[in-house]
Amino acid sequence: MTLWSLGLVRGVVGQIVGFAAGMALVIASRLLFGFDPVWNQEPALVGGIIIGSIGFLIGVGALTDWFKWMRGIETPLHHGPPHGRPAWTRYFGVDYNHKVIGIQYGVTGIILLGIGGMFAVIFRTELAASGFQFLNPSNYNTYLSMHGWAALAAILLGIGGMANYLVPLMIGAEDMAFPRLNAFAFWINVPGIITLLMSLNYGWDGGWTVYPPLSVLGPVGYQFTFWAVFLIGLSSILGSLNLIVTILRMRPPGMSLFRMPIFVWAVFATSLIQLTATQFIGQAFLMLSFERLLGMGFFDPDKGGAPILFQHLFWFYSHPAVYIFVLPGLGIISEILPVFSRKPLFGYRWIALSSIAIALVGFLVWGHHMFTSGYGEYLRVPFMISTLLVAVPTGVKFFSWLGTMWGGKLSFPTPMLFVLGAISVFLIGGLSGPILATTATDLFLHDTYFVVGHFHATIFGGFVFPFFAAIYFWYPKITGRMYDETLGKIHFWLMTPAFWTMSLGQMSVGVMGMRRRIADYDPALGVEFGHVLVTIAGFTIAFSVLLMIYNLLHSAETGRVAGNNPWRSRSPEWQIPSPAPEHSYASPITVVGEPYDYGIPNSTYVHMAPLAAADD
Amino acid sequence: MPKSATDIRHFIIAGVLVAITTVLLDLLLKAILPMPVQGSHQAQVIDQLTSWHLTLIAFLFSLVVVIMLYSLFVFRKKDGDESEGAHFEGNTVLEIAWTVIPLIVVFVFGFFGVRALSDVTRAAPDEITVNVTGFQWSWLFEYPDSGVASNELVLPVDRAARMDMTSRDVIHSFWIPEMRVKQDLVPGMTTTLRFTPSVTGEYTVDCAELCGLSHYSMVAPVRIVEQAEYEQWLAERTAGTAPALAQTGDETDADTDVETDADAQSN
Ligand SMILES: [Cu+2]
Ligand SMILES: [Cu+2]
Repeated sequence: MTLWSLGLVRGVVGQIVGFAAGMALVIASRLLFGFDPVWNQEPALVGGIIIGSIGFLIGVGALTDWFKWMRGIETPLHHGPPHGRPAWTRYFGVDYNHKVIGIQYGVTGIILLGIGGMFAVIFRTELAASGFQFLNPSNYNTYLSMHGWAALAAILLGIGGMANYLVPLMIGAEDMAFPRLNAFAFWINVPGIITLLMSLNYGWDGGWTVYPPLSVLGPVGYQFTFWAVFLIGLSSILGSLNLIVTILRMRPPGMSLFRMPIFVWAVFATSLIQLTATQFIGQAFLMLSFERLLGMGFFDPDKGGAPILFQHLFWFYSHPAVYIFVLPGLGIISEILPVFSRKPLFGYRWIALSSIAIALVGFLVWGHHMFTSGYGEYLRVPFMISTLLVAVPTGVKFFSWLGTMWGGKLSFPTPMLFVLGAISVFLIGGLSGPILATTATDLFLHDTYFVVGHFHATIFGGFVFPFFAAIYFWYPKITGRMYDETLGKIHFWLMTPAFWTMSLGQMSVGVMGMRRRIADYDPALGVEFGHVLVTIAGFTIAFSVLLMIYNLLHSAETGRVAGNNPWRSRSPEWQIPSPAPEHSYASPITVVGEPYDYGIPNSTYVHMAPLAAADD
Repeated sequence: MPKSATDIRHFIIAGVLVAITTVLLDLLLKAILPMPVQGSHQAQVIDQLTSWHLTLIAFLFSLVVVIMLYSLFVFRKKDGDESEGAHFEGNTVLEIAWTVIPLIVVFVFGFFGVRALSDVTRAAPDEITVNVTGFQWSWLFEYPDSGVASNELVLPVDRAARMDMTSRDVIHSFWIPEMRVKQDLVPGMTTTLRFTPSVTGEYTVDCAELCGLSHYSMVAPVRIVEQAEYEQWLAERTAGTAPALAQTGDETDADTDVETDADAQSN
C-alpha cells in the first residue's frame, strides 16, 4: 500500500496543483486581455481557490464514477473494504457506504470542532486580563472570526455524521438514496475546510457575520472564507436532499411517518431548512466575493447598493441555521431519553410536529438580528412577535421530556448524563432568548456578551451535549465495544458545571457592558474577574473533551465487548450485530409496533425479517 | 414516597418546590443582576421589562429544573430492578395546555414588548439634535443649532436628545450602556436614536458593531451635565477656544495599534 492510494492524499495534491493552475489561468487571461498589472493578488487567489477545490474533488475520486458514466463505462456499486489494502484506508478515500461516510463526517467534525475550540481558547486566554498580552487586535480579530466559521462548519459536519450514520440504520434502509451524491457531499467539505484554514495566512476580521462594507474593505482572507462557506453550504444542500429522499422513499413496510424513530423526524425537519435556506448564504457570500473582485456594488451605497440588504440575506439563512444546528440534537435527546427512562416518549406526535413547527417559524424571524440595523422601525414589531412564538414549540419539547422522565425507571450511564446536561444547558439558552426577542430589551443587550452567552448555551445544549451523548450512546454499535464509563462520567462532571459557569459568566459580563468581539476592554468596566472565570471554564471544557477523545480511541481497542443491544433499546439498529455489519440488515425489516412502547411486555417495534417469512 | 407516578401527592410536592424555587430565584436574579447605572428615561422602561422577564425566567427555570431533579431522585431505577416504567404515551389535554398557555404568555409579553418599544422610541418636543458621525475608529458630534463640533458628547440632563447618525466607512453602532438603547450607523443613510438622560455623570459611548482593527477602542467620552453647564460648554466652543478636532480616520495607519483620536483628546 502506498500513500498515493489514499484518496485524501491525492485530493490534497489535486488541490495544490489546481490552486497553482487556477492562479496561472487568471494571470494568463489577464496577460491575454491586456489587463494592467498582470499580477493582481486577489483575482489570482480566487482562481486558485476555485480550481483548487475542483482539483481536490478530482484527486480524491469523488467525480470518478461520473466521469466513467460520461464515457459509457459500467460503474457497479462496490461494497465492502477496498481490495488489496487495509480496511482502515476506506475512511481516507471515497467510499459509498453510509456508515463509512457517517464516520468520515463525524470524525472530521470533531477535528474541526477541536480547531474551532482552539481558536476560542487562544483568544479567551487573551481576554482573561485587560490590555494586550500576547495577541494584537489584528490577529485577535482573525482568530475570533475563524472560531466562528470553524465551529459552525464543525457543527454542520457533526450533524451530517449523525444523520448519515443513523438515518438509514433507523429506517432499515440498505443505504442512502444516492450513495455517490452522499460521498460527493462529504468530500466537498474537505477542500472547503482547507480553504477556510488558508484564510489564516491573509487574515480577516469581520466575525462570522462578515457584514459589508467591512468585509469588502478588509484583507483578502475574506475571499477564502466566502468560498469555503460556499463549498460547505453546497454540501449542506446536497446532503439534505439525499436525506429527504431517503426518509420519504426508503422506509420499510409498516413504518408510517408517525412510526419513525423521533431522530428521523428531527433530521427531516433540519433537512427541509438546509435544502431551502442554504442558498441564501451561498448567494450572499458570492455577492460579497464579486463585489470585491469585480466592483459590483450590491452592498455599496455609492453604487446604488445597500449594506443592510446583506444582513437580510445573511440572516435569512443564518437564523434558520441555528435550528439546523439544534434540531438534530433535540432529536437525539428525545431518542435517548425513553431508553434510559424505560418509558414511552411522552407526546411523540407533538414532539415530531414541534420540530416541523420550529423549522417553519424559523423562516419568519430573521429580522430579530437587525433590531438596531436601521431597517424600517415598524419591522421590529412583527419580528418581535414571530420570534417569541418560537418559544411555544420549544416549550412543547421541554414539557414532553419532563413527561417522559416522570414515573420512569431512570438510570444514568454517560449518554443519559449528557442528555440531562443538554436539557439543562439548552434551558439556559432558551430562557435567555425572549429577553433578546422583545425589542426594547434587545436594544440594550444586542451585540453584548449576553448574546454570546445565549448563543453558546443554545448551541451547546442543542448540539454539543447531544452530539457527545450520541457518540457515547452509539459507540458500542460503531465499534462493538463499550467506552470507559468512569472516564465518560468524569468528562460529564467536568464539562457541565464548567459550561454553566462559562455561559452565565458571559451573560453577566455582557449585562455589565462588555461588548461583543472586542479585543480589549476597559478595566474600569469591572468584568476582569468574570473573564477569568470564563477562561478557566473554557480550559476545563477543552480538557474534558480531550478526555473523551482519549476514551474513544483507547476503548476501541480495550473496551468490554458490548453485545448487540447493551441499552435494551427497541430501535432496529440495536437488533443487529455490533459493530454494524457491511450490509446492515441481512434481510428487509418490517415495522410491527410503536417505536417507544417501553413498558408493554413482549411488544416489539420491528420484525427482523419480512413479515411473511417471520410468520412461518 | 407514593408508588404510582400519577399519585396526586407527587404533583403537590413538586408544585410546592417549584413555587418556593421560583420566589427564591426571582429574588436572587434581581439582587445580583449587574446592570449599569439607570441613566435615562428609556432605561427605566427597559429595566422594568427586564424585571418581568426575570420573573418569567425564574418560574420556567424552576418548573423544568425542579421537575427534572424530582424525577431523577424519585423515579430513579433501584439496583437490580429490570422492570419498565409506567406505560403512558402522552396526554392530549396536557399537550394542548402547554401549547396554549405559553401562547398566551407570548402575546402578553408581545403586548408589553410593543408598549415598551414605543415608549423608548417616542419623539419628545424640544429635542436637542446632535449629528453623529462614526468612522474607523472615532466619533464626531456636531450640534447643528450652534455649529459646534466635538469629539466628546455633552448633553443636558432631563432633556430629550436625538442622535441623527451616519457612518463614513463601515457599520458602527452607538451605545451608551447607561442609556440602554443602541443604534447602528450605516454608510449611505441616516439612522436616529433618541434618549433622555436622567442622571448627570461621565459615561462613554462605545461602538457595538465590529468595525475592524481598533473596534475595541472606538470609544468617546460622554458628559451628562446640568442645563447651565451645557450652555456654558456650547458657548466656550462657539468662541473657538476648543482644541482641534479629529475629523477623519483616514490618516490612521491601519497596521498599528492606535489610540483613537477621541481617546487622545479626553483628559
Ligand atoms: Cu435568530
Ligand atoms: Cu465602530
